[in-house]
Amino acid sequence: MKKGIQAWLDERFGLSGITDFMTKKSVPLHKHTVWYYTGSAILLFFAIQIVTGFMLVLYYKPTLEMANESVGRIMTEIPLGWIIRSVHSWSASFMIVFVFVHLLSIWIAKSYRSPRELTWMSGVLLLFISLFFGFTGYLLPWDDLSFSATKVGTDIPRAIPVVGAWVTNLLRGGEDVTGDTLTRFFGIHVCMLPVFIFILLAIHIYLVQKLGMSLPLDVEGKQEKVKEIPFWPNFVFREMIVWFLLVGILFSIAIFFPPSLEKAADVMAPAPEGIKPEWYFLFLFQTLKIFPAHVLFVSGETLAVLLMVLAIVLFFFLPFFDTKPAGTKGKVITILAYVFILYALVMSVWSLL
Amino acid sequence: MIKKRPSFFLVALLFLLLLAWISSPFCLAQLDAKPAVTKDLQDKDKPEKIVAAPRDAREKTGIWVFAVWMWISVFVIVFFLRLKIKEVDRLYGLRFYSTRKN
Amino acid sequence: MKLRYSLFTRRQFLSGLIGGWVGAFLASLVYPIVKFIFPPYKEPDEVILPLADYQDMPPNSVKNFAWGSKLGLMKKNDNGIYIAFVGVCTHLDCNVSYINEQRKFFCACHDGWYDENGINIGGPPPAPLRRLTLVIAGEEMIVKKESPEEAS
Repeated sequence: MKKGIQAWLDERFGLSGITDFMTKKSVPLHKHTVWYYTGSAILLFFAIQIVTGFMLVLYYKPTLEMANESVGRIMTEIPLGWIIRSVHSWSASFMIVFVFVHLLSIWIAKSYRSPRELTWMSGVLLLFISLFFGFTGYLLPWDDLSFSATKVGTDIPRAIPVVGAWVTNLLRGGEDVTGDTLTRFFGIHVCMLPVFIFILLAIHIYLVQKLGMSLPLDVEGKQEKVKEIPFWPNFVFREMIVWFLLVGILFSIAIFFPPSLEKAADVMAPAPEGIKPEWYFLFLFQTLKIFPAHVLFVSGETLAVLLMVLAIVLFFFLPFFDTKPAGTKGKVITILAYVFILYALVMSVWSLL
Repeated sequence: MIKKRPSFFLVALLFLLLLAWISSPFCLAQLDAKPAVTKDLQDKDKPEKIVAAPRDAREKTGIWVFAVWMWISVFVIVFFLRLKIKEVDRLYGLRFYSTRKN
Repeated sequence: MKLRYSLFTRRQFLSGLIGGWVGAFLASLVYPIVKFIFPPYKEPDEVILPLADYQDMPPNSVKNFAWGSKLGLMKKNDNGIYIAFVGVCTHLDCNVSYINEQRKFFCACHDGWYDENGINIGGPPPAPLRRLTLVIAGEEMIVKKESPEEAS
């Protein structure tokens, strides 16, 4: 009967092309194959975000008056609401961890070299969308900490000359962080970003399938042919093992370390002690802190933000800079990846001390 | 004498037991946390913080049961998937897939 | 009964085992998801109203009160006795109103009529309006769910 249904659907959708492709697509096996698992791990956590997000949005009220209270209601009145919220919160962090691991593995293995430049660039955009998901989601409980963190976070673009104030105004829906900011962030988090991420994901995944799996340089150079296994079923079953282990870890952490909820933000109160953004922004936060108030005639903050923007632009166009991966420039770019890891770790830990 | 490597599953099991032993006081404390408020509190009585926790003993046992069931499922599914992977790898080696008509 | 040939191959057995257990695990997730999506609706066990709000009602009139999230109707009869109804039409859940001159409850949605005691007398409503038990204790009116005998 299963074959009957498959044939019926295939007559209409013509999807056998996709299933054929999945069996023909092959994944190379070598000592760096483990990094190939990071992509689908990101998709797993994203799928969990969608499901838990759908559930939370049934009860969350995105207004200044009701946001905090509705999250409190989810945690206390709705059956198992606290677990759903906890899974959503932890899965966000897990997803961003894997996005960074995925990105670093591509950077170090130089998988962005021709013809995969667009895959890299769509991937960088996906990174920013993921971080923006996290940033907008962080405000939604509307407690003192998230309110203050959003105030700081949306103030940073102001340091960019010419367009800065305009960007801040766009993010906040006005001069200050208000109920309008909350509603705006909710719409972005739930409506706009999902549309953008789906478009970019489609492009990214299509390119990966079209261009095939890339080989790291040290493997490519070898004489003997690299052993390959079919994507379906061999590689997918291996991925499934990874998924189940990750789900087990995620649910256990979510059940035993759920986030709590502080009381609703007081717009007039001073910033709470120990204010800090989510962990994935800590290193940027600390970088801003170490810049002096003024450097020559330029404000320290402006300089720091401009340097960050420059770094992001260079980062986005990385495949076009790394034209000779095996040469000195290529080696420097690889070392830069490790420097970035070290920098981010040191800055993050420093910001917590 | 042939030195036998300890089985992967034995090592995994021992690691998990160690992890469970170390983390259990924290986990139990979390599940015993006071859940929070009833609706009738006035504004000034609203608590500073709402701690996420199961609302009653039934929810608490339900969560433990689910956690145990989940980990048993993970191990069983991984065990069978490993067998399945050995099988499909064997089939691939026999060129079973290249001659199949889809 | 001994079978000559196996019902399925070893490969199918393994695939079935994996699929079955994965299915069982996912099914165990359905329960918490469904519980979350359909939270229990609790009608209040009792609602306490201040007598002062209802003391000055003219006879043969009706005043609203909140019965949980539903409409409650407090009626003062000609003889000064109060009765409480759930003001929800038994046909399709619209809120009803009381027409003093006609001494009838009216549901505008499909032209349903109830008499002054809430008995359905015209239109589609299949049953009388739900009565609630009312106890006046000092300065308070305590409205409770109807007792099981009254409910049937």
